[in-house]
Amino acid sequence: MARPHTASHRIVVALLVACSAAFVLPFVWLVSTSLKPIEQTISLPLTFIPRAYMAAIGGRQVEVTLDYAVSGPGAVVRFNSGPDAGRTGFVTSGQLSRGVDAAVVHPVQAGSWHVTEKDGATLGGRPAWDIIPREQVSSRIRFRWDNYPKALAALGGDAEADRHRVGFWTFLRNSVVVAVLGVLGTVFSNAVIAYGFARLRWRGRDAFFALTLATMMVPFPVLMVPLYGVFKGLGMIGTLLPLWLPTWFGSAFNIFLMRQFFRTIPEELSEAARIDGCSEWRIFWRIIVPLSTPVLVVAALFHFIFAWNDFLGPLLYLTRKDTYTLALALESYQSQNGGVQWHYLMAASAVTILPVILLFLLAQKTFIRGIATTGSKG
Amino acid sequence: MTRSDRKQLRAGLAFTSLWIVGLFAFTAYPVVASLYYSFCDYSILKSPVWCGLENYRQLAHDGLFWKSLRNTLFYAGLSVPLGTLVALGLAMLLNCEIRGRSFFRLLFFMPSIVPVVASAMLWLWIFNGEYGLMNGFLNPILGLFGLHGPAWLADPAWSKPALVIMSLWGTGNAMVIYLAGLQNVPRELYEAAEIDGASSWQRFRHVTLPTIAPVVAFNAIMALIGAMQLFAQAYIMSEAANGNGNASDGNPERSTLFYSIYLFSTAFQDIRMGYASAMAYILFLVTAALTWFAARLSRGRSGEAL
Amino acid sequence: MTLGHKICLPLLLALALPAASAPVHVTYWEKWVGFEGQAIQTVIDRFNASQDRIVVDYYATSSVDRKTLVATAGGDPPDIAGLHEQHIATFADAEALEPLDRFIRAEGMTNEQWLSRYYPVYAGICSHGGHVYAGISTPAVEALYWNKTLFREAGLDPERPPRTLAEFNDYARRLTRRDPATGRLTQVGFLPQDPGWWPWIFCRWFGGSLYREHRVTFATDPRNVAAFAWIRSFTEAYGLDNVKRLSSEFGPWASPSAPFFTGKIAMVFQGVFYDNYIHQYKPGLDYGVGPWPEAVPGVDDFAMAEADVLTIPRGARHAKEAWEFIKYVNSTNTKARTREELEGAELLDYLQVKISPLRQWSPFFAEHNPHPHIAMMRRLASSPHATSVPDMGIWQEYYREVISSFDRVRLLDATPEEALGDSQARLDESWERYRRSLERHGQWTALGETAPP
Repeated sequence: MARPHTASHRIVVALLVACSAAFVLPFVWLVSTSLKPIEQTISLPLTFIPRAYMAAIGGRQVEVTLDYAVSGPGAVVRFNSGPDAGRTGFVTSGQLSRGVDAAVVHPVQAGSWHVTEKDGATLGGRPAWDIIPREQVSSRIRFRWDNYPKALAALGGDAEADRHRVGFWTFLRNSVVVAVLGVLGTVFSNAVIAYGFARLRWRGRDAFFALTLATMMVPFPVLMVPLYGVFKGLGMIGTLLPLWLPTWFGSAFNIFLMRQFFRTIPEELSEAARIDGCSEWRIFWRIIVPLSTPVLVVAALFHFIFAWNDFLGPLLYLTRKDTYTLALALESYQSQNGGVQWHYLMAASAVTILPVILLFLLAQKTFIRGIATTGSKG
Repeated sequence: MTRSDRKQLRAGLAFTSLWIVGLFAFTAYPVVASLYYSFCDYSILKSPVWCGLENYRQLAHDGLFWKSLRNTLFYAGLSVPLGTLVALGLAMLLNCEIRGRSFFRLLFFMPSIVPVVASAMLWLWIFNGEYGLMNGFLNPILGLFGLHGPAWLADPAWSKPALVIMSLWGTGNAMVIYLAGLQNVPRELYEAAEIDGASSWQRFRHVTLPTIAPVVAFNAIMALIGAMQLFAQAYIMSEAANGNGNASDGNPERSTLFYSIYLFSTAFQDIRMGYASAMAYILFLVTAALTWFAARLSRGRSGEAL
Repeated sequence: MTLGHKICLPLLLALALPAASAPVHVTYWEKWVGFEGQAIQTVIDRFNASQDRIVVDYYATSSVDRKTLVATAGGDPPDIAGLHEQHIATFADAEALEPLDRFIRAEGMTNEQWLSRYYPVYAGICSHGGHVYAGISTPAVEALYWNKTLFREAGLDPERPPRTLAEFNDYARRLTRRDPATGRLTQVGFLPQDPGWWPWIFCRWFGGSLYREHRVTFATDPRNVAAFAWIRSFTEAYGLDNVKRLSSEFGPWASPSAPFFTGKIAMVFQGVFYDNYIHQYKPGLDYGVGPWPEAVPGVDDFAMAEADVLTIPRGARHAKEAWEFIKYVNSTNTKARTREELEGAELLDYLQVKISPLRQWSPFFAEHNPHPHIAMMRRLASSPHATSVPDMGIWQEYYREVISSFDRVRLLDATPEEALGDSQARLDESWERYRRSLERHGQWTALGETAPP
């Protein structure tokens, strides 16, 4: 055990700082990319801070993109003849000395940068450009917060989003519906079921409980195909139902978790209530549930995270775009025709991550305690 | 059976009735149906036709099946031990008396709750061969030796290690569990060991390890089962990094064709549900066998150490 | 009549009447977003406005093929699915698609008459096992694109693309440049893996066949092996590490940093749609478009054709209405003389800057097409040597094998003989299994009798 101010203590702190840097850096990278303009996401060397570059092109001070540095000297010229007559272009000194039918606009030194007006290309036609020394390009930090609304609009497919009202808010609502109904189902059903296993004595209970535990061993792929058939038979493919309905019928892990907790509540409490003529349901509802808040909260939190993060379930059961959850919409956006732009993808990812991070920060104690207790049941 | 017995039974069944339905509909029936389908030529669009052991016979000499199994074992073989080491290492660092401990714990844990789709997107970008963060760090160092960072997810030799690295980022969960385990080690044991003049390695070997070994073993088994079912990250990232349309085929060069990916594409792309069910059952057996083996191993170990 | 009746009747009528005349909403899933999505939306709007019975609702859907299959299997398919042509045979054999024969018959046509309106290669794409399963939404045809600036720099005539395979190889060599200091590649003439979507076409280009007389002929046709040896020759000439290093600098194909746009690759085979992307990401790129060089002596009009297709999944709720839309997109106003008069296929293809799959083009479409190389593309699309994916149910598996062999060969992990041999062995088994499965479900004979030789 390292004590403060010893050498080993300092090593421990140094190691922790190094490790946490490695764990945090991806997040920083995520946020940094999401706030960059597209060309700075694919420029080298890597930068973390988004900037805006300004330069004078044709006498106007405009925002530019830094395209590349010119390797040798030359000149920007206006061609007099040939297919490019009337246009400007760059020729190297070598080409110039061999004779080019063109008027020199201005000479260019090696190492100068080719810059293009940033918003020029979107206006159609050729954007304004020039080749100028690096010193003439000024820059300042600028976060592109507008990437976020743009990314969220792109998530639903832009124009189409307006038409069918399918967009980020639809996906968010679906995710919330699945998570909330799932959380309610998980807490309610498992508490009821666990009560039956923990606080009642009946024939076959222990065998049934052993069977319940055994089902935890079954990997999901074994269930995947027939479950699809089950939901098809119920006419639920293409709806959110397969994602939350099963939570209302218990799950082995949560039953186990809650049963363990319920068993720690003194039996005398129940006995006293029974003598007073309380029904089992009343005992459960009035005595056990209020005393079990910690375990119920843990189950609720875990299920929320699971439902929010789930990918395979939505991938299997959701067909129509208006039923997509945020996770599926994000994947679907990434794999859309014609590729995707990194700054938007990172912005959309950040938005998907945000709710779970917030939830975690709000309830971190419960989380950590929950994981520590559930994971230690060796 | 007495009247009160019957009453108790009725109450028990009433309280567990939801689970009886759930167990049957969402677990028991699928497990049995899956077994039946595994002996059938079945696409969900046409009715199943019994074909005996044909699916299993075909699996035995399906090169892709074996390749997917090898890939999965390779991934599990790397990610489970490394993940355990990293989680245990971090937990031991955090078990020291330092300031800001809960802050560090928070940082290490946070990645493990990031939605897998979002973390897949993030790491896809980090592993981008040219503009990604990973090579952005590696290239200046490797450049001293005239080397260049690999293309990671687009390079068959590096795609699986890339996924392993990504999995290490999410070990916070296990770390929290190990930390709790470490904190359960009675302080007196350490003090006693110290008085006996034990070195810090000896203290770790003879005090810490035996106490947390069962927890480590249990979580390693869980991680192993999880690794055997690796799906979402690989599914999203291999397709995106190699841009090959609809073929979820473990690109590049099938180096990320993991068991669950092959199973999924067999079932829901080639709609060979029978064949996929046979694969699922083999996964079932392999998982069960591994679990049993690991449980035995860990029991033996911890028994010996205690 | 009581008071109650007096109130109820008009109420009932008010409820029933709009229901009777309410249009049917047809769900249409398609892969397109961006300007291609806007183009199809314009066509849909035109269709929706042309009548009052049917409203087509467009949903841009990624991985549309897999999603359609899963949704169809789950009993909740869209009414129209915009698939890729290479899935038709598989989906049809799986009974996931509605044959369009009965709708065509209702139009007073036979399948042959309906199909004869298309260029042959697209007619082939629409049909499988004697049934018509699809209409074309937009067709594509692939041609050779070259960078004229790089041609000039290499001392080649920028207006004259290579005409034979030998010339192509020679050009590729002359268009390759290395950094004199390090020996690293800075530019290559040609790289088979860019874009790498359809390596099988090199087999067809070399005269090989992929599927003949109900057999997989990947490794058994020596011309396929020759094509893969040719693929391998590029890696050998450039050096594997050099290729890896260079290709790590390639941006996504639809971005300003795509290798053809940044001048890292001088020649690529790309589709008719590529002009759009050039225009979008590299305006001002000086490029040319030409036919595939002659790889088989005498075949100077070889071409690869693809198509985005419209299909009706089994179980679609509004199949008849879906057909109305497919019919609209697969017909034209052959007399159109202005942009406003364009209908159906030509309107969509005009907006997406593509060719029309139909033989007959309206004067406006042929003469005022925004595509700068439309005549060349039309010549290739109508070519008798135009070819598309083999019409077989395991093409998805086959395609994966092709990609796997392609990767192994170009990364020098296997010789062409080894790679194709391994794939052939797997495919023989898959095909045997697939055939047996069709026999089991009583589908093989129907398929066998009518499948083209």
